[in-house]
Amino acid sequence: MFKKLYLAYGVLVLGGTGVAQYNGWSLDRVNQLKNVPKSVRDNPGSYRSVYGFYHHYTGGK
Amino acid sequence: MSTGTPPLTNPPKPQTRALNCPQCGAAIVLRSLGHAETVVCSSCHSILDAKDPNLQVLQKFQVATSEVPPLIPLGTRGKLRGTDYEVIGFQRRSIKVEGVRYDWHEYVLFNPYKGTRYLTEYCGHWNDITVCKELPSVGFAQATYLGETYKHFQTADANTNYVLGEFPWQVRVDEHATATDYVSPPRMLSSEKTANEVTWSLGEYTYGTDIWKAFQLPGTPPEPVGVYENQPSPVSDNVKGIWAAFLGFAFLLLIAMAAFDLTSSKGTVFDHSYVFQSGEPKGEASFVTDIFDLAGRTANVEITTSANVDNAWIYLNYALINQDTGQAWDFGREVSYYYGRDSDGSWSEGSQKDSVIVPSVPAGHYYLRIEPEGDSKHPPIGYSVEVKRGVPVFGFFGIAFLALLIPAIVITWRYISFERARWSESDHPPVKIGNSED
Amino acid sequence: MTQPVSNCPNCGAKIVFQWSSSVQTVCQYCKSILVRTDVDLEKVGKVADLPPDSSPIQLNTEGIYRNKAFVVIGRILYEYDQGGWNEWHIVMNDGKSAWLSDAQNEYAISFATTTTGLPTAAQVQVGQQYTWNNQRYTVSVITPAHYRGVEGELPFPYWDKTQVTFADLRSETGKFATLDFSDEQPALYLGEFVEFDDLKLKNLRSFEGW
Repeated sequence: MFKKLYLAYGVLVLGGTGVAQYNGWSLDRVNQLKNVPKSVRDNPGSYRSVYGFYHHYTGGK
Repeated sequence: MSTGTPPLTNPPKPQTRALNCPQCGAAIVLRSLGHAETVVCSSCHSILDAKDPNLQVLQKFQVATSEVPPLIPLGTRGKLRGTDYEVIGFQRRSIKVEGVRYDWHEYVLFNPYKGTRYLTEYCGHWNDITVCKELPSVGFAQATYLGETYKHFQTADANTNYVLGEFPWQVRVDEHATATDYVSPPRMLSSEKTANEVTWSLGEYTYGTDIWKAFQLPGTPPEPVGVYENQPSPVSDNVKGIWAAFLGFAFLLLIAMAAFDLTSSKGTVFDHSYVFQSGEPKGEASFVTDIFDLAGRTANVEITTSANVDNAWIYLNYALINQDTGQAWDFGREVSYYYGRDSDGSWSEGSQKDSVIVPSVPAGHYYLRIEPEGDSKHPPIGYSVEVKRGVPVFGFFGIAFLALLIPAIVITWRYISFERARWSESDHPPVKIGNSED
Repeated sequence: MTQPVSNCPNCGAKIVFQWSSSVQTVCQYCKSILVRTDVDLEKVGKVADLPPDSSPIQLNTEGIYRNKAFVVIGRILYEYDQGGWNEWHIVMNDGKSAWLSDAQNEYAISFATTTTGLPTAAQVQVGQQYTWNNQRYTVSVITPAHYRGVEGELPFPYWDKTQVTFADLRSETGKFATLDFSDEQPALYLGEFVEFDDLKLKNLRSFEGW
């Protein structure tokens, strides 16, 4: 009984991995924005970043 | 056949005869139709000769007030393996191991066509037992019977403490036998050795709930305690199968990983170097790159930042922007690298390279908007930004591998624990792991 | 097939032999033991009532062994120091005579075999090994016993043996052999254990309450 469950589970894991790879997912956290105006190319400073994961230098010896 | 001859006369049919105990006069019931050798008077606890019409007294024994009555009352009928059996006898027996007395109970079952069978019960664990017709062959710490090998579990001196009902042998209280058990779960091979003979029997583990159903007993059976010698493992032979499945899956994972690696384009679509000078006269640090093309179906994008930071850091706010749709992926990456020497030796922290994989980016024309940050007092840092289209994410394969490994480990651990619990009660207990106090 | 019919020389009752080779039988009415001579039946003794015993098999019980039907036509009830057992004389539908033993509801079927070189009662010992029909047998127990009673048709002319010795031999494959030292010449029976259900017995004895 356990073996059958494990086999089904393994197929799901493998399938999930294949789907993830095929769809181009990744493990990194990235924020999405929409409707960035074309004017950003002329004026890069006008771009408003999402500060949710704003991260600065945190440490080191 | 019936050509005028009279019907055949048979010997008189023995019935469930009602007799009286010669010691105390109480009624004695004989259920086994002449099979019993001895029968116990439950009133005065005398063991009587069942084959003697006068029921000669063979032994009288004392009964402690703490003596518990049989869980299946004498005279109860139940269906085991498709045959009805009646409980005709009961006994409590015990062994002493390291000064501790362990009791178990045995029931004698009878069917006039199929003969006698036995049930044993120990701490809620039941066994369905028949006497062997063939002789098993005994080896070193094991026995073989009908092509199956049984491992030696325990040898002990068994004493009969209390008896009730009828027995097909000459039972006596305080009679000893050397009992040896060999196990091959769910079966068990047992030998009972007295001065005159050896009897072998084969037992099959049975769950209390099945006994209760078979005999239609009220209430619930006693809860089993611990693991019994031939109790079947809930995990048992699945373990090997699961590791075989794991190896199969791991191999497939490896192949999938190689396949994705080979078929991903990993093509560099953009590569440029820059120099960051912080603390410059206040101007706009952010800039945009030239437009580059991301081709093919929706896939990931890997952005690698390489900076020659030497005990320094640089932080880059990135935005990958689709020129046409205005969709953007926004993230910040730090590249820092520190190193030195101390009392333990040389050390280093961080890396001069950082990679991030942006997921599910559709094809189109893109550019990067980059806003670097750094320590204002630091000299200029040179860095390069490389964009690759369609890379394999090895992290997924790592996660998948662990996801496959962990259940296999958990199941194996449960199996090992169960078997350790089983053998801890035997003559061959497992070696203690670590410093657990069992 | 016509079955031999005679009359009991003691009481005149009709005697029918179910097996053509039966050497003796017991008259149901007067319990006389009758031995067949070439010409007619001779009364040689009287059998006492059999003691109450609980074999579920009785005369005229039918069953199947190895796809051959058989019927029970006789019995010998043996007694030894630890109890007793029944040897039921059966005849297969091909006319062969065999024995169905019932010892505390353990059943076995065996056939008489003619072999030379059998040990005598004095020679046989527990643990010895013999090979018959390419099968190895080991002597497991030697039992002195005696006849407690007979019933029906038997293939030999004795009914009252006060001392018989049997040697039981077992193989490792559920087969067994019996050396029967009742006669001058030891007799060998080869057979195997059988399960009650496999015999598909019909016309068994009924037990009150079962």
